[in-house]
Amino acid sequence: MNAEFLALAQMAVGGGLMGMAYALVAYGFQLTYAAGKAVNFGQGELVMLGAFTGLSLIGIGLPYWAAVPVAMVAGAALGWFVERAAVRLALQQRNEGWILLTIIVGLFGVSAAENIWGRDDKPFPVPWPEGALEFFGISVTWPELAIASGALGIMALVELAKRYTMLGIAVQAVSADPDAAELCGIRSKSAISLSWAVSGAAAAFAGTIIAPVTTVGPTMAAALTLKAFSVAVVAGLDSGFGLVLAGIALGSAENLSGFLLGSGWREAPGLILLILALALRPQGIFGKKIIRKV
Amino acid sequence: MLVRVNLGLREKTAERVMRLTLFFCLAALPLLWHGEYALGLLTLMAVYGVLLIGLDATVGYLGQINLAHAALFGLGAYGAALAIQSEVPLPLALLVGIAAALIPGAVLALPALRLEGPQFALSTLSFATLTVIFLNESESVTNGALGLSIIRPSLFTIVLNSTRFYWLCLLVLFVTWWASQLLLRSRFGLAIEALRDSPTATDALGIGTLRHKILAFAWGSALAGLAGALHAINFGYLQPAAFGYDLMVILLLGVVFGGRRNQWGAFAGAAVVTMLPNLLSNRTLFSSLVTFGCLLAIVSPIRTLLSRKMPSFRQTAPVAAMGGALALALFASNVEEWRKGIFALFLFAAVVGLPDGIAGALTAILRKVICFAPDPLPVATGGIQPAKNGAGLALQALNLCKSFGGVKAVDNVTLEIITGETHGLIGPNGSGKTTLVNLISGLYKADSGSVEISGVRPIPGSLMSACSAGSARTFQNLQPFSGLTALESIMVCQRYGGISEAMGWLHVVGLEAKARLRCSEMSYGDLRFLEIARALATRPYVLMLDEPAAGMSKPDIIRLVDLVTSIKRAGITILLIEHHQDVVAELCDRVSVMDGGQLIALGTSDQVRRNPKVIEAYLGSDETAIQAKSEIGAQLC
Repeated sequence: MNAEFLALAQMAVGGGLMGMAYALVAYGFQLTYAAGKAVNFGQGELVMLGAFTGLSLIGIGLPYWAAVPVAMVAGAALGWFVERAAVRLALQQRNEGWILLTIIVGLFGVSAAENIWGRDDKPFPVPWPEGALEFFGISVTWPELAIASGALGIMALVELAKRYTMLGIAVQAVSADPDAAELCGIRSKSAISLSWAVSGAAAAFAGTIIAPVTTVGPTMAAALTLKAFSVAVVAGLDSGFGLVLAGIALGSAENLSGFLLGSGWREAPGLILLILALALRPQGIFGKKIIRKV
Repeated sequence: MLVRVNLGLREKTAERVMRLTLFFCLAALPLLWHGEYALGLLTLMAVYGVLLIGLDATVGYLGQINLAHAALFGLGAYGAALAIQSEVPLPLALLVGIAAALIPGAVLALPALRLEGPQFALSTLSFATLTVIFLNESESVTNGALGLSIIRPSLFTIVLNSTRFYWLCLLVLFVTWWASQLLLRSRFGLAIEALRDSPTATDALGIGTLRHKILAFAWGSALAGLAGALHAINFGYLQPAAFGYDLMVILLLGVVFGGRRNQWGAFAGAAVVTMLPNLLSNRTLFSSLVTFGCLLAIVSPIRTLLSRKMPSFRQTAPVAAMGGALALALFASNVEEWRKGIFALFLFAAVVGLPDGIAGALTAILRKVICFAPDPLPVATGGIQPAKNGAGLALQALNLCKSFGGVKAVDNVTLEIITGETHGLIGPNGSGKTTLVNLISGLYKADSGSVEISGVRPIPGSLMSACSAGSARTFQNLQPFSGLTALESIMVCQRYGGISEAMGWLHVVGLEAKARLRCSEMSYGDLRFLEIARALATRPYVLMLDEPAAGMSKPDIIRLVDLVTSIKRAGITILLIEHHQDVVAELCDRVSVMDGGQLIALGTSDQVRRNPKVIEAYLGSDETAIQAKSEIGAQLC
């Protein structure tokens, strides 16, 4: 193995691990899409706000282990708020207003972050050890490992809860048919709210694991939303774990194109992939085709 | 409460007078009062006006959230700037600007417009991000992040000082406004309204969903390019970052706040967007305006409270948002730092509380105060005429198969309908009747087998192609164009003839008196008749009626039978799916029966009714009854 190949492999692995975080944010899209056929165009802002909340909590002396769950609770509250304020009304009227409203709520989030925490990027302290592990000449840092294990862990946890708890099964029933679920005594609105809260918590958690690698700043939001969207759309908005594969692929592609084409082009492959995926296979690689009914 | 003024004026005329007055005043402004700064703002407003009229084509008329408009504006600006740098005359530079936005816009539109809702918003968002990356990175052409400077060219021999350039922009805005209005109030505009309500129906009636969407998007992109070119000449300096997400949000604010689907709205939005940054720098003015907005927002929930009801979310949310803005205006240490947040709060209040924007709200008030003369109804002409003459088979379906997963919905069905015949298709629920019609009309693509309509083989899976081959259909679940009136619903489907023929079709189905009624306000039975009239207006050779009598009252069914009889008499071939056996018996020459995806019988109504297979399909056989009995018996023992 020559050095150049090793460098490329190093890039790909680093990107792939980061891609798991995109997969986690994309997983948030899946949760809300399944429950109410809507997604939060301000999901990146939730990630950013979650990271900032975590940072502030650590700043006032809370240990990392306590700060993360509290940030997740804050994220859940924000997710719930987005659903209540921006999505519910528009979905009742069956129009596309919710897209605009979620963008608007996100925009307010950015503005609030700029004024509360400032416009500059800040480092995020973590209790992981310094240094890196080496596998076959490829080094992996502890924060990167934390991203991979954290993202997979949360997704697995939510999936298990969805399948084996009464609440999770109720949410699945609502995503299959909200009216039928109501007739069976499930409160559809509450189930949808719950999905948005879980999605918000996942976003906030993603923030606390991404931030140690990328630093925290108000500008991180917009790019993250798009990347997560790419992952969700390429995998399919109803595909479950196809996300992880798509996330790894996107993260690697991003790092490699940044390395090969120049840093300005870093985000281009994800975007091109997104447009191509939407054009060729709107239901995603792992998604099911939708049948029109009349 | 209010005295309504009757001017005896038509609404269209009144609007035209107001528009001309507005432009006259705007053009006269620089003559009355000199000020470079104000002139700059007015020019910017005119440019934004063109841009927002373009954005309204997608966000308003198509009803899709288009996030690529700012990027297209940027592409137009760069295109024009580069053209001017290579010393191209000004009109040509404007054309280059249009092309620079139109061509990438078309490349985006072709794949993106097959998508709906969030997917469309996403693809435009990624296009916008890619564009900014491209402008930033192609340093050899665009000079990258450092920016591109140009000198304002002259128009032929006329030197464009700021007043003259303002007039040029105003002229462009006027022409754009007029052209947009013409375009969007024509049949093209009706088609766009219709496809927003039911893309399936617009395809099935041969209007063409994708074609109209692409044209609307192209029109919007061209205007973005034109506005970009004017912007480049106006400012003389371009930077990629200026055309990013922030600008896009401001443009959306303009369209939504001003009012969607309305050129006046786009203009009002342009005015707001231009003035907003200046408002933020003057704190007293800003605070008083926000207070005023707050008071406006609070009126409607208070009225609801006074009538002892709880105000809805739609009423309270704008108050909360405006309250937030007021708090920022009063207490924030620096309002301009909170620019985005304030925009967000305004937008939120506007989207939730004023769905039709300022222009929509003002129009509603004007309509209350002034009583406009109604447009006269045209005289009905035309009616059902014999379809093109032909002999032999009107419709031939050969060995059609369609499965959904493991279910064979249509299993090797062959159906031949003779020209001029009325053919009934009956069968129990779930027997595959509607799927068969969906296959023939091109909504679904058959797994195997072929369809021939009056000797033409339409492209499988294309509603448009089946329609142009001469078929037209109605839908079991109604697909009305809710935003259009009855008359407009017919006009949009017509391939020949004008408004009086459209009136003629309404006369045929007995809806003449309801011509100006919106579909959203019509009764279920009337909508069923309107669907038949829509299908007839395409002058079909074969008419497919999917359960037309479902849910109809008895008198309506009698009307329906009379109508179908007269269609039949005109020589139009009919395929009728129906559950009312008396209707089928009265109308149909032959009847096919389906069960479990297969054709099980064919003959006259009487023959079919006596067929043991048909009786079995509807009532179950003796054997299954005996089997069921014995099973129940076994369970009891």
